[in-house]
Amino acid sequence: MDLFFQLLANGLVTGTFYALSALGLTLVFGLMRVVNFAHGELYVIGGLLGWALTAVLGWNYFLTLLVVILVLGVGGYLIDQVLIARVRGQGEEPTILLTIGLSIFIANTALLIVGTTPVTVASPFASKPLFLGPVVITQARLMLVGVCAVLIGGANLLIQRTTLGRAMRATFQDTMAAQLVGIRTAHIYGLTFALGAILAGAAGMLLGSIYVVEPTIGGVISLKAFVVFILGGMGSFAGAIVGGLILGVAEALWGGYVATGYVDAIGFALVILTLLVRPYGLFSKRAERA
Amino acid sequence: MAFERNFLLVGLVLALLAPLVAYNEYALHIGVVIMFSVMLATSFNLIVGYAGEFPLGHTAFFGIGAYTAALLSMRFGLPFYGSVLAAAVMAALFGLAIGGVTLRLRGPFFVIVTLCFAEVLRLIASNWIGLTNGPMGLSGIAKPAWIIHFTGVEQKLWFYYAGLLLASISLLISYRFVYSNVGRAVVAVRENRFVAQSIGIWPFYLGLVTFVLAAAISGLAGGFYAYYISYVGPEVFGFSFMITMIIMVLAGGKGTLVGPVVGAVIVVFLEEYLRDFKDLRFSIFGLIVIAVVIFLPRGLMGFVTRRHELYRPRDGGNISKALSGEPDLTARALDTERGVLDA
Repeated sequence: MDLFFQLLANGLVTGTFYALSALGLTLVFGLMRVVNFAHGELYVIGGLLGWALTAVLGWNYFLTLLVVILVLGVGGYLIDQVLIARVRGQGEEPTILLTIGLSIFIANTALLIVGTTPVTVASPFASKPLFLGPVVITQARLMLVGVCAVLIGGANLLIQRTTLGRAMRATFQDTMAAQLVGIRTAHIYGLTFALGAILAGAAGMLLGSIYVVEPTIGGVISLKAFVVFILGGMGSFAGAIVGGLILGVAEALWGGYVATGYVDAIGFALVILTLLVRPYGLFSKRAERA
Repeated sequence: MAFERNFLLVGLVLALLAPLVAYNEYALHIGVVIMFSVMLATSFNLIVGYAGEFPLGHTAFFGIGAYTAALLSMRFGLPFYGSVLAAAVMAALFGLAIGGVTLRLRGPFFVIVTLCFAEVLRLIASNWIGLTNGPMGLSGIAKPAWIIHFTGVEQKLWFYYAGLLLASISLLISYRFVYSNVGRAVVAVRENRFVAQSIGIWPFYLGLVTFVLAAAISGLAGGFYAYYISYVGPEVFGFSFMITMIIMVLAGGKGTLVGPVVGAVIVVFLEEYLRDFKDLRFSIFGLIVIAVVIFLPRGLMGFVTRRHELYRPRDGGNISKALSGEPDLTARALDTERGVLDA
């Protein structure tokens, strides 16, 4: 039974991380209906930037986090205004292709600059183990779960409670009506994508202190994020969190009790099963769109 | 239609004659790669260009074909044509199963879920060591018995013509399919699903037919690849083949039969030229994808045919003259391009 609790705790911690790394994807899809295939690469940029500033230049961790947020925010805004804006309104396919092209470019350029060696972000949190009853968790992980919760909550508040968030939701519900009441919709599109990029980059930086970051890891991150995003019903914040936790726990239990070989396949198997039962995700209220 | 047919026939004649001017191992190797790419691009285009969905896990069928041919040849000693055919059949069966599940979804959902299937297959290929030899892959797939005593260049020549045969069959089947009633119905669904449904077309069924056909052609390409490279590893399910397919179809122009063929030729040559840039070439590839999406949304052939369509009404009565005008020019331009590259 102790093993079960340990696995469950591990699964919940990993699940929170999954939720965080899928959050940007969920946000951008939920609001903009854009599937960002470069999501994993934005995560990688966050992680690599975090590594370069903390481990190489020796900057403060939280200062670096701010810089990462700033860089990805500006970068995301520019990506949207320069690239995605050109194919807006042409359906889903051009955006998908555009982001695939972007992900190829970012991944391989990062590979050229940084090389293939996996790196980690220097973290101020101790990796000292904490004993909570039968369960052991390192301090760093527990701290990160807290930071994740703050980020997720903050993003949710931003969207639900601020003027900017209201403008975002208005823009994506009815662009023309939003324009009529004076919302600069082109700007809002850019800011939404920037927010998605910030969440991806912050996830990369935060998780880069626990897991390794390497330029080619973006594809794996994107895939995991897609799994979370489908399990959670695409586009809802609560769904992303639940999807992340489900994936984390399922992987931990499978790895602990059955076999480690197919752990990565669990998520995809879950997705396929979900589809057979509920084609549009576990928590989706929305029916098929015309 | 006539333009596409003539273009493809001219291409076939040129491809048949090409070894006369380029009879060396390197040139023939490029020829084989082109044939194999044409098959892959044609298969991907059937779904992207005609059914209008975007299966990002299309490598699943390519990989299934490659593994099927490799296993049948190594474990049961099946001859070349037998196992390549079996590869196509097996891929079609997988297409039926996967398509049956995934085609209930559309748009981004479909994209991601097909990708999931390819990933699952990749993980199975690297973990089921008893069957697939895991990450080590299956190596040493025997070449067909009757070419073993050939010299290197003769073997390449044989593979070139075998590839040409298979690519021609794939294109012929696609041509017959696209211009059949079913093919037109598929395009109707792509253009407006609800109108198509209202006149009695069943989108799911048509999507499935297209999907299975595309899977079979992809499996054929996979079987051919397994024999030519004589090695199959889990990376056949990987994303890099997918990217090549996407670029070929998009750069050439989706929704035309000629487009992917032109795209395949261009991309194979481009890859050879970019080899000089070594690691930089993938970054350049990414930029090319972005540029194509933004500046050439309908691909090279889409651009040409649209010019061609715009040209027609201006000419008024003499349509046949207008029809014969531009395709000839483009065909000639491409022929010279091909001639230059071959030389």
